[in-house]
Amino acid sequence: MLLFDHVSFTYPARQNPAVSDVSLSLEPGCRVALLGANGSGKSTLARLANALIIPDEGSVEVDGLPTNAHQTIRELRKLVGLVFQDPDNQIISSSVLDDVAFGPENLGLERAEIARRCREALALVGLLGHEARDPNTLSGGEKQRLVIAGILAMEPRYLVLDEPTSMLDVTGRGEVRAAIRALHERGHGILHITHDLEEALDADQIVVLKRGRVVFRGTPDELMQDVDALTDYGISLTPSLQLQALLSQSNLSVKAAAVVQDQFIAKAGATALQADADTYVQGETVAAQAGATAAQADSTATKTVLSLEGVSFTYARGGSTEHRALDDVSMRVNPGSYLLVLGHTGSGKSTLLRIASGLLAPESGKAILTATAGTAGAASTTGVAGTTGAAGTTGATSTCGAPAAIKPGVVGLVFQQPETQLFAHTVADDICFGPRNLGMLTNTRAQEVLVRESLDAVGLDYQEFAQRSPFTLSGGESRRVALATVLAMRPRFLLLDEPTAGLDANGRRFVHSLIEALTEQDVGVVVVSHDIDEFLPRAHDVLVLAHGRMQWSGKALDLIHEPDILHAAGLQVPQVIGWQQREGMPADSFTLDPFEAADRILRWRAARGER
Amino acid sequence: MAFVVPFGQYVPGDSAIHRLDARIKLLVIVAYVFTLFATSGWLGLLLCLLLLLVGYSMAHIPLRLAARGLKPVLIILLFTLIANTFSFNAASPAISPLGAGLGTGIVGSSIANSLPDSIILFGSFGIKPLGLLRGMYFVLRIVLLVSMTSLLTFTSSVVALTDAIASLLRPLRVFKVPVEDIATIFTIALRFIPLTAEEAEKIMVAQTARGAQFNVGGPIRRVKAWVPVIIPLFVNLFRRADDLACAMESRCYIGEGRTHLKVARLRTQEVFAGLALAVVLILIGVLL
Repeated sequence: MLLFDHVSFTYPARQNPAVSDVSLSLEPGCRVALLGANGSGKSTLARLANALIIPDEGSVEVDGLPTNAHQTIRELRKLVGLVFQDPDNQIISSSVLDDVAFGPENLGLERAEIARRCREALALVGLLGHEARDPNTLSGGEKQRLVIAGILAMEPRYLVLDEPTSMLDVTGRGEVRAAIRALHERGHGILHITHDLEEALDADQIVVLKRGRVVFRGTPDELMQDVDALTDYGISLTPSLQLQALLSQSNLSVKAAAVVQDQFIAKAGATALQADADTYVQGETVAAQAGATAAQADSTATKTVLSLEGVSFTYARGGSTEHRALDDVSMRVNPGSYLLVLGHTGSGKSTLLRIASGLLAPESGKAILTATAGTAGAASTTGVAGTTGAAGTTGATSTCGAPAAIKPGVVGLVFQQPETQLFAHTVADDICFGPRNLGMLTNTRAQEVLVRESLDAVGLDYQEFAQRSPFTLSGGESRRVALATVLAMRPRFLLLDEPTAGLDANGRRFVHSLIEALTEQDVGVVVVSHDIDEFLPRAHDVLVLAHGRMQWSGKALDLIHEPDILHAAGLQVPQVIGWQQREGMPADSFTLDPFEAADRILRWRAARGER
Repeated sequence: MAFVVPFGQYVPGDSAIHRLDARIKLLVIVAYVFTLFATSGWLGLLLCLLLLLVGYSMAHIPLRLAARGLKPVLIILLFTLIANTFSFNAASPAISPLGAGLGTGIVGSSIANSLPDSIILFGSFGIKPLGLLRGMYFVLRIVLLVSMTSLLTFTSSVVALTDAIASLLRPLRVFKVPVEDIATIFTIALRFIPLTAEEAEKIMVAQTARGAQFNVGGPIRRVKAWVPVIIPLFVNLFRRADDLACAMESRCYIGEGRTHLKVARLRTQEVFAGLALAVVLILIGVLL
């Protein structure tokens, strides 16, 4: 048994304990989910279980071996395997087989035994036949399964999985979840740490952690009976779970339903933020100095449109590794519009982002900013794109002014996990980096105003954060600062790559409300993602990308009636749509809103019952 | 994309050279390099060239790949050739024995003697035929050196190479050299170099999107421009290192007492063939 007995732990030089008075136990063959928001102390528990850190108070024991006994630490680590978030940081060797063998080799086992364990472990995670591959060529899901195989080869009795799916795309998540289920069936004791409610519901037992303390302990059914409490724990219901709860009619209170609906349409907490965002745009002082006022005044008469027309790009042209990343892709982003580019890793999304931000010149086709007169025409051509040839200019736009090349500042680019690009001494310095490069800052007063407004826009307090080092921030805070560093340049367009990756419910809600506020300020937003459930309900337009080619483009709400296109692009149908499909409802009546969907499904069932 | 990683040029294949134990290949290369520098005439060098061509054809590696590998040293080659062509001084005693050797090797001393000292272009500046010859000799030597080492990387995976180096280092354990740790460092470096290069490119793109410019201004400004790339790169590396250390610890790594899944046994024929080739090469180097 893996036993936490009244465990408390405080990191050196921190005031608040990371975990306090936590008790829990895990038997072999049992699966416990540890659920909680970012910073709730989940990862600390994982490290405590493996004797990577030792509790200040209380004790951790594995099958009678205490973690603070140095002599038995090796025995203990053989019993408990640990898997973290980022598979890239856990793979040691440059071939799949060598990596799985690393653990058993450390144990000093015989060759035949190492070979047997490697074979068994790879078979369990479905990677047999991939022994010779370089881990750098594996997909995210394959990498994480390789990490799990490396742990399994140590033949542990217990597995502690610390958010093993949070860095993965939807496919990878599915693969790893299936692997976890297989391990559970095989009789391992599994402690699955996650902030994903759906994943947690797979477990036998759920423990919810909030600010280092256990606030709930029970079965998945018991947790779902008190949905009100979930929001309080910092955990969100997915639309699909919401629909499921509505259909079962039993365990969802009216109040909770309302709260959840608020979350779903991303309004909760956004009002205050929107007020902040208003000041951000009205920041006349800085805007005047930056010469941006002219541009802003312009925007009432003319509109700048970001467009790609028949863009193609090939890497390593003529070389042995030639790879066509983009093939004849067109898109059009109007001010205030919200375009979702759906695609998997390798679909050409990152090349598209580089071209649309002007950092990479297309091999053929055009990437330009065009000033367009009138608003009516522009609005009607949102998302216009041709699948053959350069049909990007169809629509009733009357162009005035020469198309301009895309320059940094006008188009802001936010990569996946943008917080890994922070570098300055203080948050304020980091925020000023872009504006200073663009010559927007002329005096210290302007600087202060800009920092204040940028922090306001991401909901952070100036006094508290401006002079802090960006490296001392929590995950959610540093994501906000990273967004502020780009917003400080007052971009007219914002390109975001998987902006919610790795964030918990609160962080996600913040990102969605920020995007909404920006579109209301007439900023054109492009989100590149594979997560259809997360973004489709919010985006205006969609472009489906697969293997560098455009598969579909149009209004977001039209895509839900075209499940075949999603299948063809290797994307999953939104879960709420999946429910309606399984009911056998016609595609033209699909809806993304879980409340609406529940209503339609119930009526559909009733109508069918009558027949 | 912006960075070219110097590894990974491995061309998968199943030729005899591909299958040859990397340790033997390393041994032969060492002998080959010795020969290149020990031999003092054209004959030895041309035998080395022949061996190189045989090697490439056995490995089914097209020669144009070898040519591509020469690109980075192209300037050095040109400089060597030009410098020698115009500045050869046959009278200088320090150089002449080598020069004579070069001349006699294959061209024959009579031909060498019959060549004019210098073809004057203007003033005292002119093409020295013997210098040209010597320049060509040096160039060929560098070409052979680079192409032969490329053949090693074309036909051995990086993993096989590091395993080979680690295995050749193993006897040093007697002198308390932490061979296992060194081997692990190699392994980790191999895995993280491409990852880090990719990350550096990404940070560069992100900072460029924030208006950073890397190729403007004087040297100080250029160096300063890299600060926003280098700092996050290091911070991320330390973060990775922290995770990696935990991952290794929880997989019971302590650096000693490790066994190895792949203990590639050397085949007797391989050892003999390798040793024979090495001996022949050394003889060529010493005698020709």
